[in-house]
Amino acid sequence: MDYTNQKHPQNYSQMEDLKTLDLEESVSETIMRDLRMIAYKLKYVLIPKEQEDNGKELRNWDLWGPLIFCLTLAMTLSFKADSTTSSSKSDVFAIIFVLIWVGAFVVTLNAQLLGGKVSFFQSVCLLGYCVFPINIEAIIIAFVGSYLPFVVKLIPVIICFAWSAYSSVGFMASLVPPHKKKLAVYPVFLFYLFLSWFSLIV
Amino acid sequence: MDFGIQNQTDEQQQANKESSNQNVNEGNKKQTGFCAFLTVEFYTPYFNVTETDVIQRIQGTFLPLKPDFLNLIRGNPDLWGPIWINATLIFMITAIANLRQIDEEKENQSFVISYVPQATALLYIIAFGTPLVLAAVMKFLGVDLSFFQTICLYGYSMSTLLPITILCYFQNELFLWLIIVYGFANSSLFLIINLKEELDKLQIQKKYIIIGIVVTMQLSLYLFYKLVFFSYVTE
Repeated sequence: MDYTNQKHPQNYSQMEDLKTLDLEESVSETIMRDLRMIAYKLKYVLIPKEQEDNGKELRNWDLWGPLIFCLTLAMTLSFKADSTTSSSKSDVFAIIFVLIWVGAFVVTLNAQLLGGKVSFFQSVCLLGYCVFPINIEAIIIAFVGSYLPFVVKLIPVIICFAWSAYSSVGFMASLVPPHKKKLAVYPVFLFYLFLSWFSLIV
Repeated sequence: MDFGIQNQTDEQQQANKESSNQNVNEGNKKQTGFCAFLTVEFYTPYFNVTETDVIQRIQGTFLPLKPDFLNLIRGNPDLWGPIWINATLIFMITAIANLRQIDEEKENQSFVISYVPQATALLYIIAFGTPLVLAAVMKFLGVDLSFFQTICLYGYSMSTLLPITILCYFQNELFLWLIIVYGFANSSLFLIINLKEELDKLQIQKKYIIIGIVVTMQLSLYLFYKLVFFSYVTE
């Protein structure tokens, strides 16, 4: 097989062919490959037009992306925690971190209990990737938030929350039988609402 | 279907019925075994509701004097309600408490977010721990109410707190105490009247033990609510 044309694999099946070369490449190359995979999956999840194959790409779940976004969000929100909340930075970090992972766990469990047949980690992966818009709004508000009145801060918050919710709702709703759709979708909505509220407040 | 001639004999019909029952049983196979409660399949039968069911059940909790709720859930207790009503409450407590603290004149506002772990612990222990204890006590005293029905009953009684939390936004102390007392009365009445049918079969002392447990837990919940979450009033 000719590997020279496949320098940048676009999915896992192409990666399988390159496994033999893993040990010989530089560290930066390995990291860049992983980052490219995350970026690809992020575009796939958040921009609805990319999803031509009905979500099949999500079968290649990974938890790196969710971890990066979770850590970024927790760090952004705990950055100014001393001045904006009455808790310490570590409290804020812990609350956000636990909220994201336990929240994703419970929402996925809820979908499974309602009769959805989905792989657990696939769903956690999707929910984690959809945290990215919340990340964006947290960074926006962290930098310019102190100069804006409360009402103006609401605008990016609402936009990003709607973006997150819209991206994940399509997937979650397709998992469960039609008469239980709203029961599966409401927890997703609550999860992102909670995170958006924190990015607004802190 | 052929209504004219009875083609099958009675034995054949019986055999068909048995085989179709078997198919149904295989579909609803319950997990058995000691650690069955750790599997997901064990809890799936308790999520067999639709959104209209849930809304109907929540509406039922606001009218405590009509004891229909237990009959409503007897055949189909669900766990979706208790879990997500409490999750919604946790969010609302944080949001409303923070909104109360907003003060446009202050330069560096400091919001409280430590309510999240506190509220989680409080609500989930009361929503799931109390029914555990109550169901054990009731089984011991001879009441025929299953464990999941008690959880369902208790979880839905928390929905009284939903409008109360929203109303707690206002700063007037007297108003807050009034609605807290109203909430306490509403949910306690709801629980007691729904349990009344079952409790009437017991002796007086046993009945009052159970009523006592219920009322104490509700009282502690509402007091905690008022004193910890919403006692902060801006100057």
